[in-house]
Amino acid sequence: MRPGTRKLAGLVLGAAILMAAGVAAEGIPHRRVADMLYLVVSSDRAVYTRKVVQRLTRDKKIITASEHFEDDSALPLPAQMFRFGAELVTDKTEDFSYSLLSLHPINKKNGPGTNMERKGLEYVANNPGKNYYGEEKLGGRRYFTAVYPDYAVAEACVNCHNSHKDSPHADAKVGDVMGGVVIRIPLD
Amino acid sequence: MSRKAIFWILCTTGTLLAVAITAVWMFLGGDRGMLVIGKSTDGHHQIMTTCETCHAAPVFADAAAAERALNQTCRNCHEEELKAAGDSHSRKKFRGPRMAAYRERLDARRCTACHIEHRPEITRAGAVTVAMDFCAACHSEGDQDVRKVRSSHAGLTFNTCASGGCHNYHDNRALYEDFLVRRATQPRVAPLPVHSLSARYRTRQLPEKAALRRRDAIAPESALAEQAVLNQWATSGHAAGGVNCAGCHAPDAAQGAPRAEVEARWVDAPRMRVCEGCHKMEARTFSRGRHGMRGHPLIAPPRDPGRRLEVLGLGGILPEGIAAWLADPVPPTRMTVAESRLPMRADAANGTLNCGTCHRPHAVDIKRAAVQACASCHDDTHTRAYFESTHYGLWQAELAGEAPPGGGVSCATCHLVKIERRGKIMTNHNQNDNLRPNEKMIRSVCLDCHGLGFALDSLADTGLVARNFRGKPAVHVKSIEWAKRRAAAAEGNKGR
Repeated sequence: MRPGTRKLAGLVLGAAILMAAGVAAEGIPHRRVADMLYLVVSSDRAVYTRKVVQRLTRDKKIITASEHFEDDSALPLPAQMFRFGAELVTDKTEDFSYSLLSLHPINKKNGPGTNMERKGLEYVANNPGKNYYGEEKLGGRRYFTAVYPDYAVAEACVNCHNSHKDSPHADAKVGDVMGGVVIRIPLD
Repeated sequence: MSRKAIFWILCTTGTLLAVAITAVWMFLGGDRGMLVIGKSTDGHHQIMTTCETCHAAPVFADAAAAERALNQTCRNCHEEELKAAGDSHSRKKFRGPRMAAYRERLDARRCTACHIEHRPEITRAGAVTVAMDFCAACHSEGDQDVRKVRSSHAGLTFNTCASGGCHNYHDNRALYEDFLVRRATQPRVAPLPVHSLSARYRTRQLPEKAALRRRDAIAPESALAEQAVLNQWATSGHAAGGVNCAGCHAPDAAQGAPRAEVEARWVDAPRMRVCEGCHKMEARTFSRGRHGMRGHPLIAPPRDPGRRLEVLGLGGILPEGIAAWLADPVPPTRMTVAESRLPMRADAANGTLNCGTCHRPHAVDIKRAAVQACASCHDDTHTRAYFESTHYGLWQAELAGEAPPGGGVSCATCHLVKIERRGKIMTNHNQNDNLRPNEKMIRSVCLDCHGLGFALDSLADTGLVARNFRGKPAVHVKSIEWAKRRAAAAEGNKGR
């Protein structure tokens, strides 16, 4: 990860952890905490997508964005930026975790891995504008799990998804639900 | 009481006493070699001077804490290398609740899930101690089943994933699909085969310092009388870079100090830390590599019986003499050639490894350090075959000025590779960074002169490696063809 990307991911992570820690202390319900975390992570990624990737690649044509950003001296893709942040979070805390998944992922490991992930992804795909909430047990621990629709917020998203060799999409449009953001908070 | 009963009581008491004394002796500082349950992996045997280097948990820690501490010590030495490789299966990827099901099959958060020490009977290449079909744990079911999502993999078994030249568990920088496709048509040998970083290093502009000459040497009379040494220094890079005798032999003297002060602070045999003062990154990487890992800063110090007793709440009860007798002996800070597990020359057995072993301090000659120094110790088939190889021929041509800088291939070109850090080119003295699996070498070395396909095939041919690449590879790795075919099929599908 480049230094700039690291800083950005660090800011996202810091804000999210502070928010989670603060609200947990206040006794705010898990659902509300998850909603707030979603707001932070999805907003930061939307800003990165529009103000960094789309502006510098499509609009200004200064740099490209690439899955192999280190080899290509390019910007990380918005989904990568999102995942790097998620990995940093799981590396630093067990208080919450988040992931970006899809029923039709480019990388198969980002497909639904649990029954609740599948249910949630199907629900947000079939019920525009609605979120999915539930509880599940993973590795002997109970979790509050929330699934939020993940929209294609910019041309950069759909262009990549329509052209990538591993993508099942060929006709995605801006505004489509491409997958879901899954947030988990342990209940035990 | 019968004599028999007394006999047994005495025997039992004596045995228990002997066990207790041995246990206390070992706990406090005595030799614990008898507790080692099996031969360590090659390389790690160098740092088995104290158990605590790896078994770093507090004395009475529970099993989970002991394993956590053990894994932390793996990362102390290997984390930088994994980070630089963009570790494909980094620890953090296996954390988090959604990976729980995978962790039940293979808990890849722990290095010790796949690498267990002291188990030579199950240790494979790369110090792997799990069955070679370990990829099946995560890539054999559902959407992750590679046999279904890759038609080229349909008939394959999982025990060849990481041994066929196609994949590595950690480092796939030269093996990922798009990389293969982009370099699918590269020729066997580049039109102008030159190792670019070596070329830049050898043609770099040295800092403008006042070069020193023979008459500028400031040293005690006895040292100045050694004409041969003085002549060597005067033609060395050190003199050209303005490093006078005192720079190494009187490091505590002020810069530009008069002869009297230099003489007062003169050291006949400067220690390695003097070299480290200027060559920081070289020293750092040396202490992480196979030549210098015994000098790693996190090697545990010898046990101190006084402190061990404090753990038991018995601090200060031992007389000083007994404590000194119980203390671990201070291990040698440098490995000797005889301690190596690789074939080495018998006449080099007593040599130790420090900067001066390869770099003669007065006649600093990187050309000698790049080949002759290696062959003065190493005596395996790969090393011996080097002197009959095309690579050696190119090296000789470069030394003779008949090939461009970087056009020759020395031992160091591949094993002590040049790297660039913040715009400065230096030699990475940690061989492990690009040694095994040998595909780690492809990007840092091979691709500057060879095509990817040729490099993959050559490195997969163990016989060719032993012959130091004399001849053509007899092994063919199909990964480039498979990647190209899949890319073409995907292109066709998108076109429709």
